[in-house]
Amino acid sequence: MNDTTLKIAIAEPSVIIRSGLSVVLKRVTGLHIQTFEITTIDLINNYVRLHKPDVLIINPAYWGAVDVARLKQDSGVGDLKCFALTSAMTDPAIIKQYDDEITTYDTAESIREKLNKLFEPAVIEAGEENETLSQREKEILVCVVKGQTNKEIAQDLFLSTHTVITHRRNIARKLEIHSTAGLTIYAIVNKLVELDEIKKDM
Amino acid sequence: MQTHKFTERTRMSELVNEDASLLSTISRFGISFGFGDKTVKEACLANNIDCNTFLAVVNFLSEGNIEITEVLDTISIETVIGYLKNAHEYFLDYKLPSIRNKLIAAVDSSDQSEPYKVVFMKFFDEYFSEVKKHMEYEDKTVFPYVIKLLKGKTEGKYKIADFEDQHSDVDSKLAELKNILIKYYPAKGVNYMLNDVLFDLLSCEKDLSMHNQVEDFFFVPYIEAIEQKNKLA
Repeated sequence: MNDTTLKIAIAEPSVIIRSGLSVVLKRVTGLHIQTFEITTIDLINNYVRLHKPDVLIINPAYWGAVDVARLKQDSGVGDLKCFALTSAMTDPAIIKQYDDEITTYDTAESIREKLNKLFEPAVIEAGEENETLSQREKEILVCVVKGQTNKEIAQDLFLSTHTVITHRRNIARKLEIHSTAGLTIYAIVNKLVELDEIKKDM
Repeated sequence: MQTHKFTERTRMSELVNEDASLLSTISRFGISFGFGDKTVKEACLANNIDCNTFLAVVNFLSEGNIEITEVLDTISIETVIGYLKNAHEYFLDYKLPSIRNKLIAAVDSSDQSEPYKVVFMKFFDEYFSEVKKHMEYEDKTVFPYVIKLLKGKTEGKYKIADFEDQHSDVDSKLAELKNILIKYYPAKGVNYMLNDVLFDLLSCEKDLSMHNQVEDFFFVPYIEAIEQKNKLA
C-alpha cells in the first residue's frame, strides 16, 4: 500500500448496497479510499490476484461458503484484511472467520474506527502529525539535494547510514515528496540552498 | 443482465450534455463534433467504430465506480487499442507540452524566476519522459503483443499481467508536483497563471488516472481472458 490510498474491494450482489457502501467509504476522513465493486463470487479470486486490494468486504449471507483463510492464502497479498458485510443477525461462527464486521447501519465514522483497529496508526494518522522538518532533517535534505550519497551524508554529519535513511524516510513522509527532483524544488523555494550550490547536477 | 445509462439509442448531444468529461473520450474514438441529431449507433457507424465497445468505455468512465464483472466478449479490442493510442497522442503531443508552457509562464512571472525555472523544469521534464517511456512501451510492445495474440499467435513468456503494476509510479509523480505547488510554492498575492497551471494539472491527473483505469480494468482483464482460453485450447 502506498502512503494514503487504501484499495477496498466490495463483493456484494446488490448494486444498491454495493454502491451505497462505496459512497460511505469515500466519506471516511483521513484516508483516500479507492473502491472496487465485485458483482459475483466467481470473480473474487481472479480480481484479488490481479489487483491486490488492501481490504476485501464480502457479504456472507449470499456467499456463506467462502473460506476466508483460504482466500487470504491464495490472494498473494501479504496482509489482506477481510470484513463481513451484514444486514441481519449472522452466525457468529461465520463472522469469526473475518477480521471484523461492517453492518448496513455503520457510519463513515464507525467504519473509520474499524479500519483504524486493523491498520497500524502509521497508515491512518499520517496526515495528522506535525509536518514541519526538524533542524537535522533540513541539514540532511540540503545534502541530498546537493547530490551526496547516504554514506557521504553519514560521514559529514557523524551519523550512521541507517540513521540517515530513517531521516530521509521521515522527510519524504512529512513533505509528501519522494523524488530528489521534487526535494530540490522544495529546498529552492524555501531558500535552504542556492541554485549555484546545486547547479552541477542540473 | 447489467443495464447502463447510455445505450445505442442515446443521442450524441445528450451524452455530452450529461457528462462533459466524455468530450475527450469521444474525440479519442475518432468521432468528430457536429453530431446533429445522430444517435450513438449512427455516429459509430458513420465513423466505423464498434458501437458496443464505445458504449462499454463511455459507461465505464461515466459511472465513476469500478465494477468488476464478467469480461464482455462483445467488444472489439482493435477499437480499444485505437482509443488508447489516440489518448497517448493527446497526452504526449498536446496536453503535457501545453502544461509545460503554462508552468514556464507562471514561474517566469515570479521574482525568483531563474532558479525556480531551472528546478521546476527539471522536475517536469523528468516526469514527462517517464510518462513518455511508459506510453511508448505500450504502443510498441503491449499493443503489438495483443494484436498477435488475437490472431492466435503466442510467443515468448510475456504476459499481460506483467504490465499492470507500472501505473502507480507515473501517477504519483504528477501528484507530487501538484503537492509542491499547492503546499510549498511561495506565491505572492493572486496569481492567476499559477491557478491555471494547477487546474490543468488536476484535470490532467484525473484524466490520466481514468485512462489507466480503462487499461487496468477493461483492457487487461479482457486480454487475460484470451490468454487463459489459449492456454486451455
